[in-house]
Amino acid sequence: MFELIGISPVLLFGQVLIGLINGVFYAMMSLGVAIIFGMLRIGNFVHGAQYMLGAFGAWYLLHLPDLFPGLGLPSLGYWWALVLVPLGVGLIGALMERLFIRKVYDLEHAYGLLLTVGLAMVIEGIFNVFYGAAGQQYGVPDSLRGGVNLGFMFMPLYRIWVIVAGLVVCAATWYVIERTKLGAYLRAATENPDLVRAFGINVPRMLMLTYAFGVGLAGLAGVMAAPIYQVSPQMGQSIIITIFAVVVIGGMGSIFGAIVTGLMLGVVEGLTKAFYPQGATTVIFIIMAIVLVFRPAGLFGKETSAHQPSDIAAARPESILENGRLWLAVFAVGGSLLPFLVYPVFAMKMLCLALFASAYNLVFGYVGLLAFGHAAFYGSSAYVAAHTASAFGFPTELAILSGVAVATALGGLFGWLAIRRQGLYFAMITLALAQIVYFYAVQASWTNGEDGIQSVPRGHLFGIVDLDQPLNMYFFVLAIFLAGFAAIYRIVRSPFGQVLKSIRENEPRTTSLGYSTDRFKLLAFTLSAGLAGLAGGTKAIVFQIASLTDLYFMTSADALLMTLIGGVGTLLGPVVGAVVVVTMQKELATLGSWVIVVQGAAFVLFVLFLRKGIVGTLEDALARRAERRRRPADAPTAAPVAGDEVAAGKPR
Amino acid sequence: MTEAADLAVAGLSAWYGDSQALHGMDFAVRRGEVVTLLGRNGAGKTTTLRSIMGLLRRKSGHVRFAGEELLGRLPEYIARKGIAYCPEERGIFSSLSVEENLDLPPVVAPGGMSHADIYALFPNLAERRRSQGTKLSGGEQQMLAIARILRTGATLLLLDEPTEGLAPVIVKQIGQVIGQLKARGLTVLLVEQNFRFAAKLADRHYVVEHGRIVDTIAAADVAASMSRIENYLKV
Repeated sequence: MFELIGISPVLLFGQVLIGLINGVFYAMMSLGVAIIFGMLRIGNFVHGAQYMLGAFGAWYLLHLPDLFPGLGLPSLGYWWALVLVPLGVGLIGALMERLFIRKVYDLEHAYGLLLTVGLAMVIEGIFNVFYGAAGQQYGVPDSLRGGVNLGFMFMPLYRIWVIVAGLVVCAATWYVIERTKLGAYLRAATENPDLVRAFGINVPRMLMLTYAFGVGLAGLAGVMAAPIYQVSPQMGQSIIITIFAVVVIGGMGSIFGAIVTGLMLGVVEGLTKAFYPQGATTVIFIIMAIVLVFRPAGLFGKETSAHQPSDIAAARPESILENGRLWLAVFAVGGSLLPFLVYPVFAMKMLCLALFASAYNLVFGYVGLLAFGHAAFYGSSAYVAAHTASAFGFPTELAILSGVAVATALGGLFGWLAIRRQGLYFAMITLALAQIVYFYAVQASWTNGEDGIQSVPRGHLFGIVDLDQPLNMYFFVLAIFLAGFAAIYRIVRSPFGQVLKSIRENEPRTTSLGYSTDRFKLLAFTLSAGLAGLAGGTKAIVFQIASLTDLYFMTSADALLMTLIGGVGTLLGPVVGAVVVVTMQKELATLGSWVIVVQGAAFVLFVLFLRKGIVGTLEDALARRAERRRRPADAPTAAPVAGDEVAAGKPR
Repeated sequence: MTEAADLAVAGLSAWYGDSQALHGMDFAVRRGEVVTLLGRNGAGKTTTLRSIMGLLRRKSGHVRFAGEELLGRLPEYIARKGIAYCPEERGIFSSLSVEENLDLPPVVAPGGMSHADIYALFPNLAERRRSQGTKLSGGEQQMLAIARILRTGATLLLLDEPTEGLAPVIVKQIGQVIGQLKARGLTVLLVEQNFRFAAKLADRHYVVEHGRIVDTIAAADVAASMSRIENYLKV
């Protein structure tokens, strides 16, 4: 009787059940992310790593005797883990809040995300060093073995337990926040932390405990997930992006919404797996895109909060380091010498990534939009250039241009969807949209899955210049880089660029001056995507390969890292950042998996201590020196340092 | 005066970033008094209350309450000493119901008013206890904001322009409430621009200009000093 379009009821219910279980994990995780986001205004990217810590915590407890053979420790099973691990992970969370996250409450939201991205890279990187990609097995506890025969299918007991326990935890959390005194403190502190402090409540401590609680939930989800999924360092990495999409779909300001959306999307994912398996990995992101079109505030969201774009630009426009004409000449001369000093392929990698980071900086630095999905443009262009060159025999320049065209079109589409939301949401949305492209490339036939497109012919430029000659290839890449760099300089110095910067500084004011800011943002985003595509397409020709790495979100993170290291919103910052990161990756290559840990640590250190980046800091130093020269007689005035309102936690 | 002073502010200066907002405020409030800070917009009245409450970080001078130096203490500590703050924008929480708003500030000392007392004083609030806090009218929100800090047992109330933007009948009602609070022995430091309202309530008026006290007027001298006061407040 259940024969639905050729799908057996066993398969259908099986998938719904799996979906429901995934949904329980989504609900528990997005609940934590939503609470942390709501209270602390932190987009907790490290949530996935904390979930992974929970699963490993359970595994460690089970293997205590093997890990510490001399101490005679007992092996603590599932039920112990269920109690101890969330506490332990919560404690780690409290420590992380104290040491790192607290430092960025008063800063632009972007820094919170950058910091937690860095922390996630460090934690997951360290586990990757020790455990690699191999998953550890964690058995179902004895008391929950077996199952119930429901007639149409067999229902494992452990899965029933996960669904029931997960729902109970979610309901209890909802009750505490919406119906208790403690919850009232939390809700009030979300709105006006200063006033709640003035009533005598220790808000900073409450924020720490809230973070610890949200993280503890992730830890609990990790323990519950251990017997179902493999315990591996990567287990948190993909789920966090899905969780961000769930939070976007559910909308802000509703704990109930986060829970319901999580469950619902899990089931939808399960159903998709039954009816259209290819779509299962992307269905949540596609639903997110649809929701954004029709209900930008999310299904349960009360309103889109009018966050300012992040103005974290470090540039001093009058600085000599911002003079594009000068530096274009310097790069032309220096770039011509470079291949005689270093290995040309290495130099070309630098140039491609410098262009990529500069393109990214156009959106992040100059418009203040925290995009986190530029890998989609870089990678899609790489794939299209590689495919058109190798399968269709396109000449090199046309192959790259095809890539640029696709990246630009994709940029227009993603920009159109993403500019409906601001601040952290913008980051989450671009990240999720980029995942659609990634999963498409994993599954499509022309992209060759894990292998990617290899042995791409470099061809002849305009049919004449043989690009298989390293120096020919190099100068072609240098010309592309210089053209891209000049274009970006031209854009940011134009009247259009001035409007972009005014959007960054004060969007409502720009709107009131009569500019349709959304159109400016969209155009900037599209241009940036096209330029990122130029970098990606060129890279595919240089290295003769397009692979999933190009589309992976770590590539987006690389663009962010290069921009941050160099100096957000500075002209030279992304170039300097690319040189630093590429050199670092080369020098540290011998360290193997540790590279990712070092990169994550660089994120954290730059966010905490060198937010202006190398170029931004240099520009400050030059400006100070010029100031001293101009007024050598004047005694330095003791200007009071900024730092005024009490750091109550959530910046308003 | 100082020996009986409940709140003694001396040489209080405060900054927002690099710009100085208070330039050495000196005044005192005795236990059980109602004292106002009068002055034009931007004179530093609100900043004074926020500084007393510890909500401004950059400040110098002295704020002594019941003999204890509070300058440099965190807001949560200051509140626990028995000072309650009712901000100008009222600060009613939209995600909390009326009753949750009322119950939010923790009790810091015995002797606060009970729910029954509060609802007797503000009958409107009793009717609307289940409503969302910000669904109340402006006058009701103001009453809620005052009612909220009466539960806690705080002995010094800092009220920032409680009559701003309210209808005359509501202003009158709030005046009666402040009178009753005084009768209960509470100390009130009131920031006002509405002098006619303040004149009926206060024992003393301090005139604030450019971040310092420029004049002190006792209640008995108000009638004689009318033109002087109008001069201070006229725009």
